[in-house]
Amino acid sequence: MSMTEPLPGAPARRSVARRLITQIEARMLLLTLVVMAALSVVSPYFLTANNLLNAMDQSVVVGMVALGQTMVILIGGIDLSVGSLAGVTGMVLGLTLPALGLPGAVGLALLTGALAGLASGAIIIFGRLAPFVVTLGVMSIGRSMAYVISGANSVGELPARLGRLSTDTIGGLPVNFAILLAAYGAAWWFLTRAKGGRTLYAIGSNAEAARVAGLSIRLWSILAYGFSGLMSAVAATFLASRILSVDPIGGNGLELDAIAAVVIGGASLFGGRGSIIGTLFGVFIMVFIRNGLNLLNVSPYWQGTAIGSIIIAAVLAERLLSDRGRG
Amino acid sequence: MADLLALSDIWKRFGATIALAGADFTLGAGEVHALVGANGAGKSTLSRVISGHIQPDRGDLRLDGRPLRHANAREAIRSGIAMVTQETSLAPDLSVLENIMLPRLGQRGRLDWRGMRAHAGHLIEEFGQEGGLSLDVPVRALSIGQRQMVEILKALAIDSRVIIFDEPTASLSPMESEILFGIIRALAARGRGVIFVSHRLEEIFSVTDRITVLREGRVVAAGVATDHIAPPELVRLMVGRELSDVYARGARSGRAPGKVVLSVSHLAAPPRVRDVSFTVRAGEIVGLAGLVGAGRSETVETIFGLRPASAGRIELDGRAFRARSPRAAIRAGIGLIPEDRRGQGIVPDFSVRENLMLAHLGDHHGPGLGYDRRSSTVQALLETLGLPAHRVLDASMLTFSGGMQQKVILARWLLLGPKLLLLDEPTRGVDIGTRASIYALLRRIAGEGVAVVMVSSDFEEVIGLADRIVVLSDGVTVTEIPGDLVDIENLAMFAAPRSSAARTRTLLVALREAYGGIACWLGLDGERLFCFDRVGDDEAADPGFAAGGFAPIAATRIAAALAARAEGFVSEADGRASLLVPIRGRRGHDLGMIGLMLPPRAALPDAAAVRARIEAATALPTLTIADAA
Repeated sequence: MSMTEPLPGAPARRSVARRLITQIEARMLLLTLVVMAALSVVSPYFLTANNLLNAMDQSVVVGMVALGQTMVILIGGIDLSVGSLAGVTGMVLGLTLPALGLPGAVGLALLTGALAGLASGAIIIFGRLAPFVVTLGVMSIGRSMAYVISGANSVGELPARLGRLSTDTIGGLPVNFAILLAAYGAAWWFLTRAKGGRTLYAIGSNAEAARVAGLSIRLWSILAYGFSGLMSAVAATFLASRILSVDPIGGNGLELDAIAAVVIGGASLFGGRGSIIGTLFGVFIMVFIRNGLNLLNVSPYWQGTAIGSIIIAAVLAERLLSDRGRG
Repeated sequence: MADLLALSDIWKRFGATIALAGADFTLGAGEVHALVGANGAGKSTLSRVISGHIQPDRGDLRLDGRPLRHANAREAIRSGIAMVTQETSLAPDLSVLENIMLPRLGQRGRLDWRGMRAHAGHLIEEFGQEGGLSLDVPVRALSIGQRQMVEILKALAIDSRVIIFDEPTASLSPMESEILFGIIRALAARGRGVIFVSHRLEEIFSVTDRITVLREGRVVAAGVATDHIAPPELVRLMVGRELSDVYARGARSGRAPGKVVLSVSHLAAPPRVRDVSFTVRAGEIVGLAGLVGAGRSETVETIFGLRPASAGRIELDGRAFRARSPRAAIRAGIGLIPEDRRGQGIVPDFSVRENLMLAHLGDHHGPGLGYDRRSSTVQALLETLGLPAHRVLDASMLTFSGGMQQKVILARWLLLGPKLLLLDEPTRGVDIGTRASIYALLRRIAGEGVAVVMVSSDFEEVIGLADRIVVLSDGVTVTEIPGDLVDIENLAMFAAPRSSAARTRTLLVALREAYGGIACWLGLDGERLFCFDRVGDDEAADPGFAAGGFAPIAATRIAAALAARAEGFVSEADGRASLLVPIRGRRGHDLGMIGLMLPPRAALPDAAAVRARIEAATALPTLTIADAA
C-alpha cells in the first residue's frame, strides 16, 4: 500500500467529472436528461406542460411498486408478486368500499398487501427458499384470488373522492406525484441514514458478515418483502383513483416494469448495490420512453421490442460507466 | 544447473503503484526456490506474472531459454506452469474430482472420466490424507484446509514443470504442511521447478534450496542458498529493519489474571465439537490449538451463537449462557473475529467507516445510525490501531492489505467494548510487520481486562502469544498447558488427530495386556516431560503423571530411566522398572517415546523383544510419489 496519500483527515478529492460518473445518482440524472432531450427533439409535444403532467401521473403506479421492489432487490431478493398483489388488493378495495367506506377499504387493501408480502418474506427466510420461486407462487395465487373474490367482474364507479388523489394539485404538482416524491424522499433517508436501510444494504452485500456483526438480518429481510407488498397495495390505490374502477386483471405485468426500473436505476440483482434515487430516474426513463413511443405513434406491437432493447442498452451503459468509474 | 525459468528486468505498474521495478528471478529444474518479502513487496505480482495471470509492462521471460509470452493463465498452463493460489479458485458446486481435473475441461476432445478418476484417486492416495478425500463430494462441503489440498492436487494433475505455491500452508495444519513439504521435495527430486511463496520463516528454511527476497518491487537478495542465510538476516532483508521481538514475549505479564469470564464445560455441537471444556479469565489470552478439523473454529462459533450446541454448559461471568444468535452473544459482551475475512467479515459494498461501524449498527437502538455518538471513540481507536484516519473514508476496504482489513474488523469489536473477544486465525494473510502490531494490540486489549480466546493453526503464534493453550483434537479437549511450557513439537503431538493417535493407543493397550504395568507415550522438552497418552492404572507402577499432563523430570517416579536413556529396563530406587523406546516420524523427526513401567519385583520381559514390537508398530509407511504427473 502506498503512503503517498493526502494529509490525514483530508477526504480523498476527486474531480467533478469523475464524481459524475462514479455516483450512480448523477449518472442516472444524466441519462434521464439525455432521454428527455432526445424525445423533445423527435416530438415537439413532449416538453409541453400537459404531456409532462401526464407523464408524472403515469409514473406514480410503477414508481410506488418500484420503491418496494428496490428494497427487495437491495437484499439480493426479487418480488415477482407485486403486479398480481396490486390486482388483488385493488379488488379488495373496490369490493369492501360500500361496506367499509373509503378509509376503511383503503386500509384493508394496504393491510392485505403488507400481510401477503410478509408471508412471502417469512416463507423465503424461514424456509430458506429462493425468492424467485416463492414470489412466483404468490404471483399466481394473487392473480387467482383477484378473480375468485371478484367473480371475474370489475367494480366501477368508485367515489369521486378517491379520484381527487389523481386530479388535485398541490403547489403545482399533482397530489399523487407529490406523494410519490415524498415517499422517495423518505425512502432515501431510510436507506442512507437509518439503521434498517443500512442493514438492507449489508444483507445484500454480505449477509454472513452482517449476521456475525449482530444485525437482525431475518427481521429486515422479511420487512423488505412486507414493504414491497404494502407498496403494491398503495400502487393499486393510485391506479383505482386514476380510472375510478378496479379490475381483476389490474396491475398485470407491473412487476416487470418495476424490476426494469430498478435495474435501469443501477441496482445489482445480486444485492448490496443500488440507490433509491437511481430507481426514481429509472421509473422516469421507463415512463418517458413509453410516453415518447405513444407520441410518435409507434405501434403497440413494436413498443415491447423498443422498451426491451432500451432496458438492455441502459444496463449495458451503466455497467460500462460504473466499471470506468471504479477503475 | 541450467535455468528452467529465467525472468529479467520485469516491470509492472498498477495505477500509481509500481509493483515490480526491474525484478530478476531464475529457477532451476529440480529446485525449490523461495520467493519472500513483506506484504506489498511484489512477490505475489511476480508469481502472477510467471503464471500468466497478469502481463508485465516490460521485461523478458524465458522457459528453457525460449522466450515466453502467455496472454493468459490457460496458455501458461499449456506451457507447463501452474499456480496454487492463496485464495482458492475452486468451483464450490463441482465435485472434488471435477475440480482436480478442471483444466481438462478447457482442452479439446472427449473427457475420459474413468481415467481421470483413476488419476485423481492415485494422487489422493499419494497425498496420504488421513481419512481420505472423497472424489464425489462437492467442494462446498470441504473445510478450508481440504480445499487447499484440492487446489494442490489440481496443480499436480496437469503435468506442470513449474509449480508456484503461493502461501500454500496458510490454512493447513502442521501435519498437512509436513505432507505438503514431502510432496514439494518429491516434485523437485523429479526435476520440476517449485516456487514457494511464503511468510513463514520456519517453512522457508525447512523446504527451500534457494531464496530470493523482494522489497518494494526490487530484488534485494537473488537466489541465495538457503544454507547461507540465517533467519534474522532474512527478516532484516524482508522488512528492511530489525524485528526485535514479534511476539513481544516480554509483555506477558506476571500479573495474576482476573475472575473467570467464560467457562465452557463438555460443550458439544455436532459434527465437529464433541467434548470441549476450558475457562478464560479476564486479562488472559487463551489459545485454542489443534489441527484443521479439530473443531476449534466450530467451538468459538458455537459460543458466539453461530451454531447450535447440543450438549454442555457455557457460563459467562458465572451465569449460564447460551447464545441463540450472534446478536444475543454480542449483547452479552462477546465479539468474534471470524476466520473467513472475505466471507464473514467484510461487507464489500460498504465504505471502511461503515464496515468499522457494522457491529455498532447491530447494537444501536433507535431508527438512525448513531455513528456520531461513537466518533470520539473511533478516533481514539484508529490511533491505537495505527490506521490512518483519512483511509477510513475510502469507499471500499477491498484495496486494503490483509493486515489493515483485520485491524478494521478488530476496531469494529473494540468499539463495543467487549468483555470476551474470540479471534479465529487473526493473522491469516497478514504480513509479518503488521502481525507484530496485532500481537502487541492483543496483549494490550488483554491487559485492559478483556478475556481473549484465539484460534490459530500457527503453533508458533499460539505459543508466542497465549498465556494458556487448550489443545483440541477431533472435537475433544486433550489438554491444557501454560503457554511458556511448550514447544512446537510437543504441541503438534498433543494436537495429533485421535485417528492417527489411535495406532499408538492400540500399541499401548497391547503392551499393557502383554506385560502388565502401565504403558505411556511421552515427550521430553528440556527438563520437562509431557504425557500424550497413558494406558493402565496399576498404583505400584504409577510413573507420577497422567495422560495430557506434564511434569518436571525430577518430579516423576521414573527419573532414573529418563536420565539413563538405556536400551534395556532401568530400575528406580524403589524397585519399579521402566523401558523407554524412542519413536520417529516419517521424515525422521522425534515423535517422543513409548514407555513401559512395571511395578517393583515384577518379572522383566526381554527388553529387545519389547523394543522390536514397539518399533514394528510405530514404523510408518514412507511417503512416496510414484507419479506426480
